[in-house]
Amino acid sequence: MESKSTFTVKGLSKSFAGLKAVDDVSLQLETGEILGLIGPNGSGKTTLINLMTGMLEKDSGQILIDNHNIGEMPAYRVPFYGLVRTYQTIRIFKNLSCLENAMIGALGVGTKHREAAQLAVALLEELGLGDKIELSAQSLTFRDQRLLEIARALAAKPKFMLLDEPAAGLNEEETDELLSLLKPMPHSKQVGIIIVEHDMRLIMNLCDRLHVLNYGRTIAEGKPEDVRNNPEVVKAYLGSAAHEQ
Amino acid sequence: MNLSKELSTRQESARHAAAKDYTEYFSFSRKSSTVVILIAILVVIGYFIWWLNIPFIEDIFTAGTITLIMALGFQLFMGNSGVLNWSYVGYVGIGAFASAIFSMTPSFKAMQIPTMYPFLVNLHLPFPVALVAGAMVAMIVAALVAWPLMRLSDAVGAITQFALLIVINVLLSQWSQITNGPRTFTLGGTRLTSLWVALGVAVLVIIIVYYFKESSLGLKLRATRDDRYAARSSGINFVAVRYYAYVVSAFIGGLAGGLYSHYILSITAASFYMGELFMILSMLVIGGSMSVSGAFFGTLFVTLMRQFLRQAENFLTRSGFEASGSTEIVVAVLMIIFLVWQADGITGGEELTWEKIKRRLPNGKKSREKVSKNVKQEEKA
Repeated sequence: MESKSTFTVKGLSKSFAGLKAVDDVSLQLETGEILGLIGPNGSGKTTLINLMTGMLEKDSGQILIDNHNIGEMPAYRVPFYGLVRTYQTIRIFKNLSCLENAMIGALGVGTKHREAAQLAVALLEELGLGDKIELSAQSLTFRDQRLLEIARALAAKPKFMLLDEPAAGLNEEETDELLSLLKPMPHSKQVGIIIVEHDMRLIMNLCDRLHVLNYGRTIAEGKPEDVRNNPEVVKAYLGSAAHEQ
Repeated sequence: MNLSKELSTRQESARHAAAKDYTEYFSFSRKSSTVVILIAILVVIGYFIWWLNIPFIEDIFTAGTITLIMALGFQLFMGNSGVLNWSYVGYVGIGAFASAIFSMTPSFKAMQIPTMYPFLVNLHLPFPVALVAGAMVAMIVAALVAWPLMRLSDAVGAITQFALLIVINVLLSQWSQITNGPRTFTLGGTRLTSLWVALGVAVLVIIIVYYFKESSLGLKLRATRDDRYAARSSGINFVAVRYYAYVVSAFIGGLAGGLYSHYILSITAASFYMGELFMILSMLVIGGSMSVSGAFFGTLFVTLMRQFLRQAENFLTRSGFEASGSTEIVVAVLMIIFLVWQADGITGGEELTWEKIKRRLPNGKKSREKVSKNVKQEEKA
């Protein structure tokens, strides 16, 4: 059995033109766990994901996977240490086939062509895209494109996976499908997942822990049921009108 | 004991099943057949024209095959990276001049180009070696200048490539110690690029370009073409993958240049500029820049069309109607039409495979004659 890995973020901050988008955020995650990252619009969730994967340069703070200081690496080195992501606005390689899209995830982290193909086929079949393997990615439905992005991320055999609003644009039925797909993944794939999502039903059913952001700051963290009753979270979500006064 | 053994055999068979599944998608008819089809078409046409033995048609074929090599090298970088590399024809020029200098006899060089550096005058290599050495020179120049340019994409990338082409062109046309300056550079001797030499190199280049595209490196490069950000977060350093492709592309361009100079026997820097670039760009656009088949059929189509239009133009001019330049206009307009209505070209950016030919046949299993007829239809399209 593989030993557990830990993903650690310490005191991460980022400002845009003086405005603090992410302000001193710290969190920790182990493989096998699902952490929900929630907060109102503009609270810094996507910025946080961009910082954690090196797509944006941080102002200060540390990002570690075990002892590897991935916060100081260029973005394309980060997947080699086991951190991959998906995008809120789907980013697939539209002119490549599904197979090639999924293979990229494996090839990107240095897997050999043959193994990458084998892994990609297995993952696509597992995610229910088995009969679309040779189709070009742009011909897929929205839902399938979301799944393809997840397949590509998994093909890197990641230790940690950041999902940025994977249910955005999916209907209720498709969201349930996604839930039943993601739920067993931490154990079957030995992966830790951070998920950003607005769909509270998905978040509450899926996550072991929640981390709530507002104006770039952590306002609460803990078990879903505790966080839901946290007065500050309630205020941030429901009482923003009251808050502004 | 027994249980673990059973488990391991079950795992083994599962692995076996998975391996079988994936190889299905990489079968000969799905992947490698493209190379065989393209080479077969080229060789059959080449053999037929050689058999006809009409010098005029043989010349058209040889020149067309050299252009095909040029277009394939252009496709290797532009088609897979999505960056319009104007500088490509510059490398064709470098290969043309360098291989010519390597292959010419010292006495002829001393006579033709009195200004040439003495160490170049004394250099003399047999034609095949000179050809490869010339391509190597183009490749080394590309390797030295390309790295900082590779991070630039889209309009900025195209503009810097354009500026680089101007630098190369001015150097070729003014460096009289190497290229005879703006005067015509005459190679002398006999034409070394025969129909079969051009054909042989073209076969080799089709193989290189196709398998480059299908390789891990080529696939990573195609991923960066479609989405740089997603490629980066999948572990791909797009500057590096572009760089390797650019250097290989310059090598093939240099090879095409060497064949060209030993075919046409007198060159100037102006032969490797906008006109040439426009021609191969139109081939790629019309054929479909994203596939090797696109470059192949685009070259075939545009070459045939240009020949036809040129004859028509000559006929009109002879009969008193001023029509010179109309060939270029027709090709340019056609290119615009394709970009507006069929941006992926006649191939739709896909490769022609045996699998697709089989699928298009009315009945799954058909005789070979029907298949070859279908191939010919493709080639006419």
